[in-house]
Formats: sequence, C-alpha cells, structure tokens
Amino acid sequence: MTATDTRPGPPAPVPLPVRARDVLASEWTKLFSVRSTYWILLVAVVTPLGTSALVAAAFSHQPAGGGAPPDPLLPGFISLEYAVLAVAVLGVLAFTTEYSTGLIRTTFAAVPRRRAVLAAKAAVVGALTLVTGEVVAFGSFGLAQAVLSGPHLGVSLSRPGVPGAVLADGLILFVVAMMGVGLGAIVRHTAGGIAAVVGVMILPSILALLRPPWGGWLGRFTLLEAARQVTALHPATNLFAPAISLVVLLAWPAAALLAAAVVITRRDA
Amino acid sequence: MIEVDHLVKRYGTVTAVDGLTFTVRPGHVTGFLGPNGAGKTTTMRVILGLDVPTSGTAHVNGRDYRALIRPLRQVGALLDASALHPGRTAEAHLLSVARSNGIARRRVAEMLQLTGLEAVANRRVRGFSLGMKQRLGIAAALLGDPPTLMFDEPVNGLDTEGIAWIRDFLKALAADGRTVLVSSHLMSEMAQTADRLIVIGRGRLIADTTTAKLIESSARNDVLVRSPRAAELAALMQARGATVKTQDDGALAVTGLDAPAIGDLAAGHGIAVHALIPRSASLEDAYLDLTDQSTDFRATTPERPHEVPIP
Repeated sequence: MTATDTRPGPPAPVPLPVRARDVLASEWTKLFSVRSTYWILLVAVVTPLGTSALVAAAFSHQPAGGGAPPDPLLPGFISLEYAVLAVAVLGVLAFTTEYSTGLIRTTFAAVPRRRAVLAAKAAVVGALTLVTGEVVAFGSFGLAQAVLSGPHLGVSLSRPGVPGAVLADGLILFVVAMMGVGLGAIVRHTAGGIAAVVGVMILPSILALLRPPWGGWLGRFTLLEAARQVTALHPATNLFAPAISLVVLLAWPAAALLAAAVVITRRDA
Repeated sequence: MIEVDHLVKRYGTVTAVDGLTFTVRPGHVTGFLGPNGAGKTTTMRVILGLDVPTSGTAHVNGRDYRALIRPLRQVGALLDASALHPGRTAEAHLLSVARSNGIARRRVAEMLQLTGLEAVANRRVRGFSLGMKQRLGIAAALLGDPPTLMFDEPVNGLDTEGIAWIRDFLKALAADGRTVLVSSHLMSEMAQTADRLIVIGRGRLIADTTTAKLIESSARNDVLVRSPRAAELAALMQARGATVKTQDDGALAVTGLDAPAIGDLAAGHGIAVHALIPRSASLEDAYLDLTDQSTDFRATTPERPHEVPIP
C-alpha cells in the first residue's frame, strides 16, 4: 500500500486563514469526545438538584420565631457549590489535558493563531456551562420552592427580582468555567489550575474579614460576594448594587482570559 | 520545501540550535541525524512555529509557518506519537484535527484505512501500542494531503514490521514528489530510508550530503590483511605510502593501497597472504566519525543536560 492509493487528487488552494468556524468545530469535537465531560456534567447537574431540596428542607424545619426568615433563594445558591467545583475542573481541563499530553503542539501546529484556540475553547466550554448552569438554576429553584411552599416560605418566579436572581445562579457556573479556561491556559497543569481557580475564588474573600470599613469595601470586589449579591432576593446593602456586582462577577473571568491571551502567544509550546 | 537559515534557538543560557542552515527539497527522503540532544526536535518545533527562534528564520514553502493558510494542507508533522488524549478514540482525534483546518470528514476514514487503523477507529487510544500511535500520528499528518512532511523519530520503539512499514511509507511519499524530513539518532535506520542526510551535532550543521557520499568520504575504507609474515609485509606496504595499523589479533588494517595492489606486492615478494578483505565503512561508522568531531565541542562549550536516550 502506498500513500497515493486513496488520494483524492491535489486539494484546491484555499485562500483563507484558519476560520473561526473550523476552530470552533474542532474544539467542539474535542470537548464531546472524552468521557470526563459527561461525568463532570452529571455531577454539575445532579448535585445541585439534590442539595437544593435538602437545604430547602432544612430551612423549612427551622423553629418559628428564630430570627429573620432566610432568603428563599439561598438554597439555590448554596446548592451550586459542587457544581462550581465540577465546572472549574471542566474549564481547567480544556487546556491542561493538552499541555500534559503534548497534544497542544498538534493543536497549535494546526491553528498557529493561538488566541483563536483560546477563544474557541472558551466559547464551547462557555456555551455548555451557560446552558447547564441555567438548567440547574431553574431546576434547583423549582425543587427548593416546592419544598418551601409547604411552610409558606417559598417565592414565585413571577415575583420581581426572582427571575434575574435565578438567571444569575446559572451564570455563576459559566463564570467559574471561564476562570478555569483562562487559568488553565496560564498554569498549564491540571492540579495547579484547579488550585488557582479555587484560590482566586476563595482567597480574596479573606479580605472581607478585615475590620470595617475595609472588609466591606474590599469585599465588594470579591467573586464570592459579587456572586452572592446578584443571586440574592434581598441583596446586602453594604455591598455593590446587583448591577455593579454583575460587572464585578464578569470582570474576574474576563481578566483571567485576557491574561491567558497575553501569555499564550509569548511562550514556546 | 523547508528552508532553515542561520537558525539560533537559546533556552536561557542553553543553546539548542546554533546557527543552522539547510534546505530540504522535494522528491527525497531527507534524514535529519544527530545524537540525542543535538537540536533536531528543537529545529522541527521552530519550523512548525511552536517555538520562536532567537535569531534566524525557518520557512516552509517560502513562508513563515505561522503565516501559512490552513497549515495542515501544506505541512504535516508528527513530533510525538504519544501526544494524544488517552480517552479519545482514534477517529475522534483525527476528526478534531481535520475540522480545525476545514478538512472533509471523508479524509479521516481514508487515512484510517491507509494506515491500517480502521478496525480500531472507535477504540480509545489509551490501549494503543506505540506502533498504533505512530500510525495514528502519521494519519493525522497526512490528513491535509500536504506537500511537505516532517517526522520526528518515527521508528522509535517500533518492531521490525512497523519499521519496515514506515520506511516504505516514507519512500512512497517522497516518490510522490513530496518533501520528507525524518529525524533519527540511528544512522543504520537512515541508511536504509534516506537519500539525503543532514547531520547535526550540538546544534550545528556537520554534514549536508547524500547518503552515498557520506559513506564514500569516510576514513574507514580499508583492507584487512592477514599474513604469517605480517611485519615484513607491513614494512613493504608502508614503503609504498600505505598506512598500516596492526590490530590486536595480528591482522593489518591498511589504507592507501587497494586489495589488488597488496596482493600483487605480497606475491612479488613471495609472502603468503591468508586473508585480503576490502572493508567499507558502514554509514554508522561514518556517522560516529562525524559526531565524534562534534563532541569535541564538549571541551569548549558549557555542558548541557542530555535527553534521556530512548532505546
């Protein structure tokens, strides 16, 4: 057998650089052709649904007159904890599996415009986690409210402020996954990348523990406080308004992706 | 066509490629030879736009690799056959590569067939042998039907059958009019595959020649002579300008006189000759001679970490 046997003749010259659509299709194929993606999605969907129902049940069994009633949207937010970790891993793996195996060299040889690779990976992981996040957010909301409606602690989706807060719950998975893509591209090691995402999410929150007024002032800029603000039915008054908190929330992954875009072209692959 | 011009690549204080200039032309299998750590892989990475050169240029088909339009249609490369996601199937891997350059899905099936991987197309590469991974890497390199191909140590770790397959394959690609550059640290392998050789050591060009010329130019073309009156014959040969070395077993290694001349000389003096064997240097010897010279640099250049030799 020779190399010529199945050649379909010389390819027509294509006067186009690498096209965005091609790079997206390639990254889409990569994302959905490994099992880890499906396992991560399973964790990201199942754990919040279960947790939100459990947290809501705990809320509904609180003794009467035990202080102010909890935010009825809190179960939905709390339940995202494991899902957040799962999508952080999904985002980090986008680059780190390629760096750890050496596959990144095949990728960059095929697409020398490395920022196009970064953009495509962010786009496919972003689309997947955004859809997953919203499914999870509305699913968790429905379950939690079903439990809370017994003791009349629940809220309806039609109540002002509720749809936005639930949408924001879903957005958090997207935000964390994008942090993962950016930091994974920078750190290039899976364990280090996951540690970086968790660190960036949690460590700045220590600032919020500083003595007033510093704690509150700095705390407003942390990912965790911003996330809490945009997902609460009754946002805290000492932090940024939800609209500004949303900007803060999106600024973190934007910064991570921007930093990745800078270093990715400067380093040898 | 691959053109490397005064290429220098330093990693910190380590100079991996030190002013390398060579051209790889279509229609031949060109061997890229050098000991481990000579700079072969680094050079290939620079050619592929993966590493940025410290100075100098590397052009493929007249352009910088990063400026190529849909590069896989112009250059196919296999650097590391193990660079695969273990959980992805062979077909999905090829499909992801093909899609990045707008290559039709049909080509994936064709390349799987060409490399004999159809039966394992839907198996995850985790369980692939090195030989299967090499075939998959070659399939990926050929996806875009490129006129220029580069393979880094493609026969490493392969069994005899796999080596023969790759050798025939490379020759067929070159016969097809393509530019084929194949690196190896094994001269014996290149002797059977490559028509042209680029030999480097310590990041510098040692030889850029044909395989035949490299053997010819070797200093080790000599005649082995055995005789009961060896000392006497040696003196006679030296008187006629030959260089004679006495081996441990008493045999003479003669350069400067060919076998018929030695035979006639011995007969003329009534000296019995028990063996008269013209020996030509193997390509391996020629290579060792060349790289011996390059290792002389060791005394004057700072020590560099060696790659782990691959058996």
